[in-house]
Amino acid sequence: MKKKGKSIQAKQQRAGWIYLTPATLLIFVMSFYPIIQALITSFRTGPSSRMKWASPLTWNYTRMFQDKLFMRSVGNTFLYLIVQVPIMLILAMILAQILNNKDLKFKGFFRTCVFLPCAVSLVSYSLIFKSLFATQGLMNHILTSIGILKENYNFLGNPGSAKAIIIIALLWRWTGYNMVFYLAGLQGIEYSVYEAAKIDGANSWQTFWRITVPLLKPTIIMTFIMSINGTLQLFDESVNLTSGGPANSTITMSHYIYNNSFGVGVANFGYASALSFFVFILVAILAAINMKVGDTRD
Amino acid sequence: MKRRKITALLASAIMVGSLLAGCAGAAPAADAAAPAADSGEEAAASAEEAPAAAAEAGSNSLTVWAWDANFNIPALKAAEADYKANVDPDFTLNIVEQSQSSDIENAITLAGSSGDYSQLPDIVLFQDHFIQRYVADYPDAFVDVNDAEVDWTDFGEEKLSYSTIDGKHYGFPVDNGTCIFAYRVDLLEEAGYTIDDMTDCTWEKFIEVGEAVYEKTGKYLLSMDGDGNDLFYLMLQAEGLSQFKDGKPYITENETLVQIVNIIHEMCEKNVCYLANDWGDYTDQTIIGDMVAGVMNGNWIIPTIRQVAENSGKWEITNMPTINGGGGYAANGGSSLYVTGNCKDTDLAKKFLAATFGGSVETYDNALRDGGVVTCCISAGQSDVYNEGVEYFNNTPIYAQIVEMGGHVPVIEQNDFHYTARQYMAAAMININNGADVMTELKNAEDQLIFEMEGAAQ
Repeated sequence: MKKKGKSIQAKQQRAGWIYLTPATLLIFVMSFYPIIQALITSFRTGPSSRMKWASPLTWNYTRMFQDKLFMRSVGNTFLYLIVQVPIMLILAMILAQILNNKDLKFKGFFRTCVFLPCAVSLVSYSLIFKSLFATQGLMNHILTSIGILKENYNFLGNPGSAKAIIIIALLWRWTGYNMVFYLAGLQGIEYSVYEAAKIDGANSWQTFWRITVPLLKPTIIMTFIMSINGTLQLFDESVNLTSGGPANSTITMSHYIYNNSFGVGVANFGYASALSFFVFILVAILAAINMKVGDTRD
Repeated sequence: MKRRKITALLASAIMVGSLLAGCAGAAPAADAAAPAADSGEEAAASAEEAPAAAAEAGSNSLTVWAWDANFNIPALKAAEADYKANVDPDFTLNIVEQSQSSDIENAITLAGSSGDYSQLPDIVLFQDHFIQRYVADYPDAFVDVNDAEVDWTDFGEEKLSYSTIDGKHYGFPVDNGTCIFAYRVDLLEEAGYTIDDMTDCTWEKFIEVGEAVYEKTGKYLLSMDGDGNDLFYLMLQAEGLSQFKDGKPYITENETLVQIVNIIHEMCEKNVCYLANDWGDYTDQTIIGDMVAGVMNGNWIIPTIRQVAENSGKWEITNMPTINGGGGYAANGGSSLYVTGNCKDTDLAKKFLAATFGGSVETYDNALRDGGVVTCCISAGQSDVYNEGVEYFNNTPIYAQIVEMGGHVPVIEQNDFHYTARQYMAAAMININNGADVMTELKNAEDQLIFEMEGAAQ
């Protein structure tokens, strides 16, 4: 009897592995193999038709810290991260709270409206924002006609405002996406918990901090990790909305990596791969910190 | 219960059937291979047939990749018609349009990186400023055309300097990048000046006129793409200098360049020059949007100027200003046709290019008529078509003028990092206009450029 049970388990395990094999193989071939290749490439230099090992091997890696433009792209990316992610997540939380209100009418309509920007392609929304904020664009027209601006302002031509536009665009695009996660999380919280708190005399502020936030913690951590990861790899907005300009003041890390592989002139794949691994390590570190901070298990 | 069984049976039957069908599809191929091995002739025949589909270029057709449906592609069509009419009536040229020049650069990069050139066409159109570095980095991607039957001395020297690598000719020049300065004569007049005042003038005089024009008409006398700023290159070439010297960046120590940066800064401050955010803004907003009274760029900008129909007859062209006066000449951003390493029939490619872009008046006349492509082939530029007055430009024979100006363009030191230099200089200019110190910014641009050049040299 015991023997038979074991063999059933073994059979089941084998079946499990067989089911997993195709996906595992595909992931290995399509993801892990290129990652390993990129790691090898990151230790090489020269034109891509005849690359050779760098001497010293870490040459590409040490070089990036002397690269002022890359350091600037790191700075820009972190600026977007520090300013945009908190604003976006707070906004998403507020919107989710509002939409979770039992008495709200046309809930489905509002939810769709908030989520809809996520259905727009990254390139097209970037181009739309670009034309909205062009010197002769709609925003300038509105702002001058209601008297906020005296004359048309070149939003995308000034470093400060160009960065602000990118942040506004990101907020528009991604707030609804995160809101949906919060909404799903909120709907998973039993209403009776709130009722109990109400009976105990908790006001809504206390309910939010003592009940909603702790119960939503896994969702909040997930959105944080996803947003950090997404922002560190920001590419489309920088390329399409501002082309990294003016004077490289809005360029992101991924955009700079692209420029090194296919941008101006000939491919510098070795250096570009090394830069990619820098981003990879950054994402890993930030995600690890985030999970450590958020982990309340003993 | 029974029905379910039947359904299951049917489903499995279908699955088995499709599996068998899959095998069946493969089986004849294996079968076919066996007899082929017996009779060698048959195998050779079928082997020849198979690649023939991919390489129809074998006989009398060629494939070419090019960009710009309003400019380069009409020129290629003109060449095809010319070759058909005068050499081989069965010839076909398969023109594959690319959305932009960088598509072709990326295709070469990818082919070169993988070592597999089989996806490349027979001929590509390629930007002049990039070709030297691509030939150096991917030597197998291009073949030289030195032995083509062409009188190379009939081409402008400056243009040929791009496509000549280690003394060998690699490319057939298509267009002529000679820089023009087009002015709105009516607006100049409003401000009290004529086109003759602008010919051979100094930048100092230009700024004076520009201020008057802006005051009277509200239009800028010059605009440029601030993101890919060509002004430094053009103004410096007009002085006979380059941003490179002996293969190294020549920026902070180049007094003329520093002077030019200061002139551009002054022009921007005094509303003489407008720097657009990007290329699209430059063409659509400043030129087509009718913001300017003057346009200075390679003559390929003419089709853009002509898009404003109501300004027909109000434009005329002349040479560029210089620091000390006396007429400046420069060239910017042309392209040439190159035979790739994957070309199926290099002899045909060379023969076709030599018989058309190598100096055929018929090709160049139609290229000019249909696409506004101005030749840099000196003899072809003397045909009647070139000497006709152009209505849009107040009936002046601008094309003859451009060919004539092309002869004066000085040959300056070129560098593979031309566009990289342009990028960093453009960034420096934006910062300077925003109040940064000139020398600090130029030093930054130079450092970044040196950094990148060292990276590539490692």
